Amino acid sequence: MIEIEPVVLPGSNNSDMTDHVTSIALRQRAFFWWWIAVGPTASLTAVLVGSTLYLFYAGVGIWGIDWPVAWGFAIINYVWWIAIASGGTFISALFFLTRSEWRNSINRMAESMTLLGAACAGIYPILHLGRPWFFYWLFPYPNSMGLWPQFRSPLLWDFFAILTYISSSILFWYLGLLPDLATMRDRAMTRGKQILYGVMALGFRGTGKQWRHYNALYGVLAAIMAPLVCSVHSIVGLDFAGGATVGWHSTMFPPFFIFGAFLSGLATVLLLVMPLRRLLRLERYITTRHLDVLGRLMLTSSLFVGYAYMMDGFSTYYGGETAEIVNYNEKVFGYYSGIFWATVLFNVLLPQLLWLRTLRLNQVLVALISIGVIVGMWCERFAIVVVALHRPHLPSSYGLYHATVWDWLTMIGTVGFFVFGMLTIVRLIPVLSMFEMREILAPRRP
Amino acid sequence: MTTFIASFASEQDLVAATPGLRALGRIETYTPSPLESDLGRSSVLPLIVLIAGIAGASVGFALQVYAEAVSYPVNIGGRPEFSWPAFVPIAFEVGVLCAVVAGFVGYLVINRLPRLYDPVDEALLLRGATRDRWCIALVTDAPEQAYDLLRTLSAEQVEELPI
Repeated sequence: MIEIEPVVLPGSNNSDMTDHVTSIALRQRAFFWWWIAVGPTASLTAVLVGSTLYLFYAGVGIWGIDWPVAWGFAIINYVWWIAIASGGTFISALFFLTRSEWRNSINRMAESMTLLGAACAGIYPILHLGRPWFFYWLFPYPNSMGLWPQFRSPLLWDFFAILTYISSSILFWYLGLLPDLATMRDRAMTRGKQILYGVMALGFRGTGKQWRHYNALYGVLAAIMAPLVCSVHSIVGLDFAGGATVGWHSTMFPPFFIFGAFLSGLATVLLLVMPLRRLLRLERYITTRHLDVLGRLMLTSSLFVGYAYMMDGFSTYYGGETAEIVNYNEKVFGYYSGIFWATVLFNVLLPQLLWLRTLRLNQVLVALISIGVIVGMWCERFAIVVVALHRPHLPSSYGLYHATVWDWLTMIGTVGFFVFGMLTIVRLIPVLSMFEMREILAPRRP
Repeated sequence: MTTFIASFASEQDLVAATPGLRALGRIETYTPSPLESDLGRSSVLPLIVLIAGIAGASVGFALQVYAEAVSYPVNIGGRPEFSWPAFVPIAFEVGVLCAVVAGFVGYLVINRLPRLYDPVDEALLLRGATRDRWCIALVTDAPEQAYDLLRTLSAEQVEELPI
């Protein structure tokens, strides 16, 4: 049996941690691996920009959507990304409230992931509008038409939820960054970097008053962010459940979406933390304790998701409505059944390996399981969006959906943009929350 | 008026030095982490956040009621115009947005930030205050007394600012 390391390795201290973390961002020359990773991801970001511009030029006809499947990759990817984004908020806010020590070292990476995931998600609903230049009609502003948006529609709730989530995540992330930006300002060697970090730190100097209000505010905002992330995913679930559509009209959806968000968020955090701790030599501060606890949480959320899948089948058959049963049978045994079984395999069956501590600490295996979960969660959303829509009430309206090359390019483009953004963040800001690490680290001398 | 910056190796040393220095003039601490003694102290910000949250949620709710029940009522299947449960999610989201923005802006206003330059920034010792040194700045009219006192305290280094 392998022993789990403590939350920081013995012999670590504040001063070394600060020097190590600031030196990563303050290096004159970027790491070799960094350049290797930037090339392809920057190209993929260009692919995203290009496919978006072509979409704006040609319209949504370039995608595979049609009747009856009028929601395709845009909505699948939107739900997929917003769920991935949730992991950061759960770690930075929810586990702040539970005073979990392990959260301090991975909080910054997870929160940065939230920002980028939410940015990728936020693109899609606008792309998905047939006339994206009218997106501001969702906002209740006084207009010459004398009209209001439909406040009773979950789709409008979603607009407000995403707006609030992205804005609050940015502010919470930036607030958490202020003391570390001050450290960067005081450690920067060149004039340009001193000015850059000095402006970004807004004049945070660590005075008694600044710290006192800081602590009070951070705690309160964490207590707000935790219910906020749950509300966001509930509302994403209600986007579907609010429609009287076969396969969607279920009271289970809001919690079901929170479970899925938790699962994919944790998988993505693991996928970022494991390579970064090696590449940036952070094994001292991100230990096997973190991998163990993230693995346990991923297993837990996988069980939640598995429960939701069972209840989905149970309530369909117990409810006894013909259209629902036809739709469900089609999902499990029909044309798209591969998607359903991939979902079950990747989200429920494979994560069961994490029951064993030896396997939880096997980083290659955990990385494979995490990739599996991310693919599985995408398949789950495909099943919810496409498979549910392709068997509506009327048999005369049955139809199939196939994605086009533009669907795929946009999706791969957002993946590239996400990784590119993470690389930029690694190069610019401290990847560990240094002032929170000081809580769990000893000073150099007694 | 003379400004002294003294740096200490630990929080305990800084706290021990505080009462004596406070007697000589105005002091300010610059620390890498919050002081233990400050952790429980109250702040007005949670109250501001609460008020902004409630106000935002109320305005968000009122706007929806006005739009759906007063300004442009639409009869959809005979459902009530004042269908308040449907207005809760947006009221909640608007409330959260107002609370978070008010908290952030309130923090900047209370601390008079952004303030990119302050005369104490000239002190080299303060560079360490965001890493692992615990610093205290003393503005005093009695520089000799302050200097003598600082020598008896466990300050690692002392810097005098030409202000």
